[in-house]
Amino acid sequence: MDIAKIFRSDIHLKIIKFFHENQASIDTPRGVATWIGGERAKVKNALEDLVKADILVAHRATSTTGYSYTSDDKLISKIAKLLKKTKPA
Amino acid sequence: MEEIKTNGGNTQYQRELFARLKKSISLKREEECIGCIIQPSAWWIIEKANPRIPDLKKVISCDCPNYKGPSSARNANCVKMVFGIIQKVRETKALTKFDCIYSLHGFIYPIIQGDKIYGYIGACYKKKDIAPQILDIFAAFTDTIVREVQKELELSKLYETVRPRAIALSTVHTVHRLISSTLDLSELIPRIARLSLQIMRANRCSIKLVDSKRKILLPKATVDLRKKTVTLKKVKIGRHAPGKAFKYGRPIRGRDYLAVPLIDEDTIGVITVYDKIDRKPFTQFDQEIMSTMAEQAVIAIKNAQLYKEQERLTMGSIKSLAKVLDTRAPGTYVPRASFLKIALAMGQEMHLDAENMKSLEYAAILHDAGEIVIPYKLLTKPSKLTGKEYEIVKSHPMAGVEIIKHMKALKSVMPIILYHHENYDGSGYPKGLKKEQIPIGARIMGVVSAFEAMITKRPYRTVRKISDAIEEIRKNSGTQFDPKVVHVFLSVINRKDVQQALEKELYGHS
Repeated sequence: MDIAKIFRSDIHLKIIKFFHENQASIDTPRGVATWIGGERAKVKNALEDLVKADILVAHRATSTTGYSYTSDDKLISKIAKLLKKTKPA
Repeated sequence: MEEIKTNGGNTQYQRELFARLKKSISLKREEECIGCIIQPSAWWIIEKANPRIPDLKKVISCDCPNYKGPSSARNANCVKMVFGIIQKVRETKALTKFDCIYSLHGFIYPIIQGDKIYGYIGACYKKKDIAPQILDIFAAFTDTIVREVQKELELSKLYETVRPRAIALSTVHTVHRLISSTLDLSELIPRIARLSLQIMRANRCSIKLVDSKRKILLPKATVDLRKKTVTLKKVKIGRHAPGKAFKYGRPIRGRDYLAVPLIDEDTIGVITVYDKIDRKPFTQFDQEIMSTMAEQAVIAIKNAQLYKEQERLTMGSIKSLAKVLDTRAPGTYVPRASFLKIALAMGQEMHLDAENMKSLEYAAILHDAGEIVIPYKLLTKPSKLTGKEYEIVKSHPMAGVEIIKHMKALKSVMPIILYHHENYDGSGYPKGLKKEQIPIGARIMGVVSAFEAMITKRPYRTVRKISDAIEEIRKNSGTQFDPKVVHVFLSVINRKDVQQALEKELYGHS
């Protein structure tokens, strides 16, 4: 999934915005679903898509998986530019 | 509530309040409703508790239809007059009517929160006789709108304050779950390092634990996002940021580093993060967050260390018991290391989880512990056993369970020991279980144990060659043994490393 395509999906965009605004955050699918007001199952799938696109990092443990934002500053700058172009929610 | 004084005398809060008030739909409706009755020439709002003449000029120049320009003497008089009315309203804190020099009429109403006036709403209109009840309704309506806007603003401020903290709390909770879910130190410490990097948005994290005898901090994990490989460096206590944090038992912070000690009852180590991704310096807030992280990390590390210690004790007890058993059958040599290797390799091939692997490891050493109850003369009897004697031999799995049942750590080992003589076709003992009724660990151990019995020297039987023993196992696949387990056994036993280990242990060479 390329970044431009990801930005066309509402749920993916909401997740990216959340992590871009809270770059130090690490949260579970349930936590992220709460912050962005999304359905847990859909959020979980979207989180995995974003891991594949290297936008998020998955910290997998036996009981849960924590997701956090990328540390790649070039990618972060690219996302910041794309977020500026998107219309505010 | 945060109050920042601005040049105009109003606080940041008041400025935001006025910005919202101006945009308020309720205030616009009020203008429309009251406007229908009084037909105003102008509505105006002043955002200052104590406005000056220039402030009023600015407002009136914008809103008054009769305003003729800054040089007009009449306008100057108008502004002065409004200024006088405002001074009066400041004292009375009540709606005050006036007549202006352009033969218009008007009123000024203070915007009040508690005892303080934050600004004024004014109107100028042509119609002179307005019922006082209308103005009362205006005042009550305006008060309600101001209160509504204040509540909105307070809610918004609360959201802005609480949300980041709630997100931070959720992060702490997630981190706690992530680091509590493993008791394996080799997995836990790099995980803590990676999570610390994420929380701090830093490029490098190093975790060092103390070697108190050598008074040195030993590197346990270093993660650097900028490098593929990293060098692990020891640090003397008292030297560099980690050494100082350890020595003084408090965080040591510099522009590009933050070292936080891991303190339980004693200090056990230090987490150090270096170089923020955004190149900003580490702050007091970072220090507080890392201290919270360190408090959680030290509990997880201590738990993992205690678990490791308990495992060592359990393994020590098991090995001691195995030694005692070996002394009961002199002349018998059991190549335990090779069998352990075979059993564990089979467990891995069959994708057993960590807990089942541990049980298999213990069972591989202890599966015949129950033989301790079999009389010595029976164990060493060179001839065939009688029916009664065989019954005694068959009791050894249960006896083995009796021996270990008081050790809680070995609870999961008991089914393997109890059922490792069960046969896949149901012809085994003690319960005659069939196929998948037999626990997987016991099915693996059944194959390994039979292989062990065939190639180990026993008083009642000649030793068989490894190749013959393998063939025997293959022949009994589907009857005595689970075919899937035999398949895995055959793949493991043909591995070069396994063959070499076995031959070396049995014959002293590979």
